[in-house]
Amino acid sequence: MHQVEMMVNGQVRRAEVPAETTLLSVLRETWGLTGSKLGCDVGDCGACTVLVDGLSVNACLLLAVQVDGQEVLTIEGMGGFDYLHPIQAAFERLSSIQCGFCAPGIVISAKALIDKNPHPTEQEIREALAGNLCRCTGYTKIIEGIAEACRAPAITDGISVTESGHV
Amino acid sequence: MSEKPTKEKTADLGDLLAEPRVGQLPAVTRGPIPVVQALTVGANQQTPAVGQRVTRLDIRTHVTGSTRYIDDLAFPGMLHVKILRSTQAHARILSIDTTAARAMPGVVATLTGDEIPENSFGSSYQDQPVLAVDRVRHQGDGLVAIAAETEQQASDALAAVKVTYEPLPALFDPLEAIRPDAPKIHRDNNVYASKVIIRGDVEKGFAESDQIFERRYRTQMIEHVPMEPFAAIALWEPDGQLHVYSSNGRITLGRADLARTLQMPMNRIRVTATFIGGNFGGKNEIRTEPILALLAKKTRQPVKATFNREDEFIASTTRHPIIMDYKTGVADDGHLIARSVRLVLDGGAYASWSETTVGKAAILAAGPYRIPNVHVEGHAVYTNKTVTGAMRGFGAPQVAFAYESQMDEIANTLGMDPLAIRLLNGFSEGSISHTGQVLQAVALEETLLTAAKRSGWMEEGT
Repeated sequence: MHQVEMMVNGQVRRAEVPAETTLLSVLRETWGLTGSKLGCDVGDCGACTVLVDGLSVNACLLLAVQVDGQEVLTIEGMGGFDYLHPIQAAFERLSSIQCGFCAPGIVISAKALIDKNPHPTEQEIREALAGNLCRCTGYTKIIEGIAEACRAPAITDGISVTESGHV
Repeated sequence: MSEKPTKEKTADLGDLLAEPRVGQLPAVTRGPIPVVQALTVGANQQTPAVGQRVTRLDIRTHVTGSTRYIDDLAFPGMLHVKILRSTQAHARILSIDTTAARAMPGVVATLTGDEIPENSFGSSYQDQPVLAVDRVRHQGDGLVAIAAETEQQASDALAAVKVTYEPLPALFDPLEAIRPDAPKIHRDNNVYASKVIIRGDVEKGFAESDQIFERRYRTQMIEHVPMEPFAAIALWEPDGQLHVYSSNGRITLGRADLARTLQMPMNRIRVTATFIGGNFGGKNEIRTEPILALLAKKTRQPVKATFNREDEFIASTTRHPIIMDYKTGVADDGHLIARSVRLVLDGGAYASWSETTVGKAAILAAGPYRIPNVHVEGHAVYTNKTVTGAMRGFGAPQVAFAYESQMDEIANTLGMDPLAIRLLNGFSEGSISHTGQVLQAVALEETLLTAAKRSGWMEEGT
């Protein structure tokens, strides 16, 4: 068994896990953060995307012990029912999401993009979503939603995701 | 419907400091989730909802990751189940030995098909075992289910199960499977569902035609690949009721299948569905639910099974590949006179929703065109492949590919515009479908012209 400690959504979390435990598994099963989803378990679908020290990663491919001592942001750190991040608000306005299973990973990937590039082109949005599969929507409304979020005052006024968004 | 007064939450720094919601932007002012207004539609009127932008009622939990799917649920003492699947496409099972697996770390119980009270299910015919006992008919057939304290332990224990097989000749091509001398996969005939549609006299129509077009079209097997793999949990309530949580899209049918396979009254079974992470037809039947119910009974603990992606590919259903032989007789002016179609659906190892699929494919096979003489026959055929079942359209996309491909070929040969030949033959108000239905509200011409206009089809130089 291995001790791991990481800052998850601004809160210190600790666990004792077998070596083979993935980051996704410790998030979902040990800490009950079930927003990140297991879709394929091989890093293809992106439903498990989280930020580790600001970088978007597939939580199903990282072992929990590899993330020891680092900072993790999951969808649970991105907003709540009456408190939406601009990406989430845009997705809601445009009905960008259908079944919802891919949404947590896509919101996180979009945040990773906007943190580095607050005014991405459509092509840059498409590239940022290359690691996220969605089977319902055909992506169009998701891409439009991210573009719309980038026009939101919160981002254009310089209260940027990079300043407030890091754990 | 009156709008409820709402307290709007606005962003300020105080809010942010008060709640340690790290990783967020200042709040976006949001009202309540909008309520969809009830719309009254008169007879023969288009609903005013078309073209309106409405906010999905379930989207806020989706975008915040708080929607609970089955795999997000857990119960105290819950065990995890993994299923050992056949390595053979077609074989007799000589023996299954779970002794070593039961001794593996964390393993609490195993289940084989002979422990299931009524070991068969299926939407059209109950020809599919929940767990195979004496014979496997494709590589996805389950043989043994193992409940362990962790998913990893259950997976590890699968490798300790010993199965011996006597391989049987396997069929992978439905055209081989319909030959009279082909090995039989179930009973005495590999063709298990058929549909025939006859209108006019197709041979007479071919004789009257100026040109005959014949071609074979094929489509491939397609998996739904829902983002959410199939998941279910079973537990027994203190009063003896079975409670199943399942990502099954048809819980009422699922409940009936549970009652049948477990041989218990339906009113003692409760099936709870939550949100489904994509269905597309692939979650319209029971998969693991009876197994979980029995393992929960054996262990007196809640049990969960979540498919991994491989399970999802080999042990769910797929879209039928169809081999489609089209023969169409046309007049030189482009009018369709006769069309005969033979559809052979690769039905996979079990019937599933094939009966529905062969029916719908046959009904739609001649296309949305006025053809006085039509003969369609469709057959679903057993093969030793992944089960084919419900998927969006139930056979309609396959035949659309075939008849539209042939329309293009006809137009090309006759030197006609592909749009013109469709407008010439397409259904219009009052047309009679190939199954004798008088059609109303037909917008084919309008749709084609709008599509042609918007795509620039009729512009010069395109």
